Amino acid sequence: MEYELKLEQEWLWILLPPEVDHYQADRIRTAVKQKMQEQYVKYVVFDFRNTVLMDSSGIGLITGRYRELAVRGGQVYVSHVSREMQKVLTLSGIYRIVTPLEQVMTSGE
Amino acid sequence: MGNTNEMMIEFDAVGENEGFARVVVAAFVSRLNPTLEELSDLKVAVSEAVTNAIIHGYDPKLKHAEENQEAGETPAAVTDHDTVQLRVCIADHTVTVQVKDHGCGITDVPQAMEPLFTTKPEEERSGMGFSFMEAFTDQLLVESEQGQGTCVTMVKTMGARDGQDD
Repeated sequence: MEYELKLEQEWLWILLPPEVDHYQADRIRTAVKQKMQEQYVKYVVFDFRNTVLMDSSGIGLITGRYRELAVRGGQVYVSHVSREMQKVLTLSGIYRIVTPLEQVMTSGE
Repeated sequence: MGNTNEMMIEFDAVGENEGFARVVVAAFVSRLNPTLEELSDLKVAVSEAVTNAIIHGYDPKLKHAEENQEAGETPAAVTDHDTVQLRVCIADHTVTVQVKDHGCGITDVPQAMEPLFTTKPEEERSGMGFSFMEAFTDQLLVESEQGQGTCVTMVKTMGARDGQDD
């Protein structure tokens, strides 16, 4: 299973692969940067529905996008984070800067 | 009395082998019947250590070597000698993983192990590698010598359940 990128207006949706390590993160980063040159992106969603493993390289991938979007008032979201993946994400402190998309959806926005 | 088993492999220090290293370790410890969480944790720890060896131990920038890097590709090992050694020892339910490189070594190990410290912020490295290794294993030992290489040893108890015999 490969990663997938989908652009929809100001939203970039990233479907992450089953394992996000340094090797995968570098490939995804390159593709994301290219996509973000095609169109003005303000919101990024990292979709974890297929992801069962991620190391700190994946964290770097996410924080890098946050930094890029923060300067333009954008936001980074994560979605479909499994219980196994919660551990790594929580440990990294990433929830200080990203929001689960599910939370935003149910808040009635 | 105790069950012991040991394996060692050596592979090229390239990004493609990070996944391979994870699979190899997981396969080797599977007979201990680890929980899914123990297995996942160990795989992440191994991933961190192997990644460090590849991107820091054999940092192409330090080697002054020509980079024939295409977008999205990890630089290939520059010489025949850029390898990572992975050794796993099992003694009862204690797993010891050792990841060794003979790269540039770490100048200041305590500093390197500080949470969020990284020598590569421009490459979006989180600086959390050692923190993750520490969090996901029971013991972590980092030995390094500048110009010689680095050896990371991690110990983790796996598949041990109270009052159960295998």
